[in-house]
Amino acid sequence: MPRIPTKFFGECDYEAGDLFSFPSGLPGFEDQHSFVFLKIPGAEPLLFLQSVLTRNLCFVVLPILVADPDYRLELAPEELSELDLPPDRQPIVGRDVLCGALVCSGYGAEPTANLMAPIVVNLNTRVGIQAILGQSAYCYRHPLRFGEGVLAC
Amino acid sequence: MLVIWRRCGESLFVGEDVEIEVLDARANRVKLGITAPDSVQIVRRETRITREENIAAALSAGHEMIEHLLRCLPRRN
Repeated sequence: MPRIPTKFFGECDYEAGDLFSFPSGLPGFEDQHSFVFLKIPGAEPLLFLQSVLTRNLCFVVLPILVADPDYRLELAPEELSELDLPPDRQPIVGRDVLCGALVCSGYGAEPTANLMAPIVVNLNTRVGIQAILGQSAYCYRHPLRFGEGVLAC
Repeated sequence: MLVIWRRCGESLFVGEDVEIEVLDARANRVKLGITAPDSVQIVRRETRITREENIAAALSAGHEMIEHLLRCLPRRN
């Protein structure tokens, strides 16, 4: 099983199926073309998008339906094409694609999730992009609320 | 903000070197053609926002944030 040095968890084993290629990188990290989705026991539902190239680059990711159970992914035709997905329908989250929001805690006490620009990976081809839903009403600093009240503890 | 009306096929200059032409205009979409030197970076607004947010997300990702999230998130088990 391949191993990778990680930002948060030391050396981690990963399965080949958790390695994804991002041909365009991510905005701001255009030279990063390879990431592993780390699933850490005890840290569910969080995922960690660890760069293969740079140990110190690891995004905290929340599955999109955990961040917003009603989330509707609407990819543009060119994004479907980049992901090698059929052009005539939207992919099903969890079956065709894995979709997650990057979490940021740089804006005040509570973390936020970027619902405007989700990470989307094709589960069959292992190719990923950061989609940018420019026309959507989704917020790039979506406050994380769970249960009845605001996320506060 | 400077506001200018243009029709399809008309264009305008920004500075000496950047020309923006309206190629097509529909109800809620316009198609622009931009001619500019290679040194001028052209980027969609939402891509620039995403870039800034990604950098902030990478910098803010730390053990403290992870522990905070794990205390608050609904667990799957």
